[in-house]
Amino acid sequence: MLILSLNIGLIAAILGLIRQYQMLQQNSYFGSRFLGWLKSDLTPLPYVIKGVLLALTVWAAVLGEKVLADSMIVFSAVALFFGWKGFAKNSSSIKKLVFTARIKRMLAFSIAVLVGIGVGCVLTNGTIKAVFLALFVLFTLCTELTCLISLYCLKPCEKLIARHYINDAKKKLSSVRGIKVIGITGSYGKTGTKYILSRILSEKYNVLHTPESFNTPMGVVRTIREKLRADHEIFVCEMGAKNIGDIKEICDIVHPDMGLITSVGPQHLDTFKSVDNVFKTKFELFDAVSAKDGTVFANGDNPLIRERADSTINLYGTDEEFATRAENISGSRGGATFDLVFGDERVKITTKLLGRHNVLNIVGAAGLAYRLGVPAKDIAFAVSRLAPTEHRLEMKTSVAGSLLIDDAYNANPEGCLEAVNVLKSFEGMTKVIITPGLVELGEKEYEYNKALGTAAAKVCDKIIFVGRQRSIPLADGVKETDFNTDNMYVAASFKEAMETYSGFADSNTVVLLENDLPDNYLK
Amino acid sequence: MKTTVAFMFGCRSVEHEVSIISAVQAMRSADREKYDIIPIYVTKNGEMYTSNKMLEIEPFRDMKALIADSEPVTMIKSGNDVVLHFLNQKLFKKKDDIVINVVFPVVHGTNCEDGTLQGYLDFLGLPYVGCDVLSSAVGMDKAVFKYVMQAAGLPVLPCICFYAREYAQDRDATIGRAEKEIGYPMIVKPVNLGSSVGISKAADRTALADAIDLAVSFSDKVLIEHAVTSIREINCSVVGDPDSCEASVCEEPFMNDEILSYEDKYLGGNKKSGGSKGMASLARKIPADISEEKSAEIRELAKKVFKALGGSGVVRIDFILDTDSDAVYVNEINTIPGSLSFYLWEATGLPYRELIDRLISLAFRRSRNRENLTFTIDTNILSGVSFGSKGAKGSKM
Repeated sequence: MLILSLNIGLIAAILGLIRQYQMLQQNSYFGSRFLGWLKSDLTPLPYVIKGVLLALTVWAAVLGEKVLADSMIVFSAVALFFGWKGFAKNSSSIKKLVFTARIKRMLAFSIAVLVGIGVGCVLTNGTIKAVFLALFVLFTLCTELTCLISLYCLKPCEKLIARHYINDAKKKLSSVRGIKVIGITGSYGKTGTKYILSRILSEKYNVLHTPESFNTPMGVVRTIREKLRADHEIFVCEMGAKNIGDIKEICDIVHPDMGLITSVGPQHLDTFKSVDNVFKTKFELFDAVSAKDGTVFANGDNPLIRERADSTINLYGTDEEFATRAENISGSRGGATFDLVFGDERVKITTKLLGRHNVLNIVGAAGLAYRLGVPAKDIAFAVSRLAPTEHRLEMKTSVAGSLLIDDAYNANPEGCLEAVNVLKSFEGMTKVIITPGLVELGEKEYEYNKALGTAAAKVCDKIIFVGRQRSIPLADGVKETDFNTDNMYVAASFKEAMETYSGFADSNTVVLLENDLPDNYLK
Repeated sequence: MKTTVAFMFGCRSVEHEVSIISAVQAMRSADREKYDIIPIYVTKNGEMYTSNKMLEIEPFRDMKALIADSEPVTMIKSGNDVVLHFLNQKLFKKKDDIVINVVFPVVHGTNCEDGTLQGYLDFLGLPYVGCDVLSSAVGMDKAVFKYVMQAAGLPVLPCICFYAREYAQDRDATIGRAEKEIGYPMIVKPVNLGSSVGISKAADRTALADAIDLAVSFSDKVLIEHAVTSIREINCSVVGDPDSCEASVCEEPFMNDEILSYEDKYLGGNKKSGGSKGMASLARKIPADISEEKSAEIRELAKKVFKALGGSGVVRIDFILDTDSDAVYVNEINTIPGSLSFYLWEATGLPYRELIDRLISLAFRRSRNRENLTFTIDTNILSGVSFGSKGAKGSKM
């Protein structure tokens, strides 16, 4: 009977763990984020039941191990119920648990622990047996706990495995003869610039670049291990950072020969604390490239960079002082044209990309590519062929033949203001913005959102904010202007916002969709 | 880590043996520091074999022994890669697939050089050296090639073209048409063969009938053009792609017969010297003994031909120089020339090893250009379609 109960308990735990591992995986294996998710997903009833059961377990244990052993079947049955519910949730999720090697290791570890305790339950007697039984109940009922224990117990092992992957990637990278590594970082603009740079360089070289969001050390390592070929001549490596030292960590793996810093700004301030720390982190790329006597290009139009960059950095931008610069910029709703100057040579550029920040991204990428020997006319051709990345100032048509500027992936203060500027260029049309504002900006969040509200009010004819609580700072910004608040709407969701928009949209309307937040932020 | 280059050669073609010679030359000249070379020999039956012995010419003299000693293989798509897969797997000694980075076709003639092999490689999604499907196919059909050149405003000799069945049903009509529209002396050619196989000259009606009979035995489609009487043949090679290309020095092949026969082209001259050097050892004059201006004119014309065809890699274009009128005509193109015309490039100052580097990088360049066309269009249209109330991301617009 006891063995049957234990077996049911084990099955219950495995089912429950699948759900826990699913959520741990989606929280990138960060225990803290996993706990955060648990908190946000908290519904009291299951925890009350679990609490009561645990109290009963302790009580039964005090009464004697025999009582506890006899009541095990009840505990296991309840655990099976919870386990099954969790398992069903995973099965019905859009993003199910992926059985990666790491998940398999953790699951195997948890099962081994449970089997160990189970064997203990059967083989021992007296108080020790009671303790084993109680532990078994705890671990099968509270799979959250089991999940976290396996996470932390296996951490050292995972570190070793990661080290192995990193060394493997390093070895592979150094075995490609003559390959040049270009690091790209910046608070914003790095992903767009990465695509632009790769496209321009592909005029002359075989280029590998880190795909979409692979800008962490392990993302870079994976790109190298899975995608690098002997015929690659250039590796364009996007480097993301949320903490001091993050860029250095990636540089220590790839040892960049050249660098491109697109911007320094107030991004991820909840982890960086200050813009100064952001600056230091971004310039870890400069330190790494300097160590190899390489060239670094940095956006001179960014005030923070301009102020602090020394003379060894190649600044680019729109100032006449910069050797690599854009002149005679003329933007339109179809894109932009400008003269691109490389010291003594200049070339006319036409691009379909919208916004001034894209002009800067092009100038930075072009400056670096020119330095690597891509002829100016080929740069101009490549740029003329660039299409906007999805959800980054991408022009579409929307309801009633209206225009939609999809900037859903934009989430930085300066980028949002730039997007509002793009909207402004649509003269003679009814201009609308739909936005929930910005998040994760630390203590300055209120300030930045208020500024966005003010900027939007100056340009737009109608404003639709998303999220009642979220939009208060935005609305405060709007109230600073003489904008008629009758034309300001607050929707509970994007769906509702689009319904409001559909009510007045016509073919002479243009709407900017700015920062499309996941639903869990909308309150 | 080295770039894995698969050299494909042989194939179901009358120029099977020549292809082996050209391929072995190329493999021996490629830089082993940069490339892992995999020979893929395609038999006359169309099967693929590989063996390191194929890096030398000697083993090919005993074909049976070589095949018995080689591994049958095939190419298959596996994930994002194309791999060389070994067909004979032993139970305990599994032979691992080899990832191929680029293919170097060194094939001559129909069923391979004519776009067939290129289509196979495109279908697999592998970068490859040389002309693509369309330019290979157009380059192989002498008649279609002429039409394309004509349309591009480039000088070609007028021709008539007919099918073997047409001819068989009414020989007199075809001969009459040739006499009326072209006039003696004429040259009769099968439209789709590389080298000079099946080509002959006719000065009268009997010779013409014989010439046509020979040509139709090689091809279903035959072309007749006027034979220039005071003729010099001048060849010029082009390397590059339509965006940027350059022409080599010109050569003048030495003619034993009235026109260049198969024996002249590949076998002539090199038997005494012992080595199988393919085209390189054919009696020829490099650079051709023509004026600077004529040479410049032909080289310029060669680049125009290459561009009009949309060529890539290395090609050799054969011109006819009418010494009476001093006029130059585009005669035909070899999209994979014998010995890859390396001797012309060495005479131009580009060593064979570097020519191969250049050709491989051109293959990657074309592959990049193709990828660039769809650089950001990676959205699945279906992802925006929703069938229920739970709309996908795109549908809320």
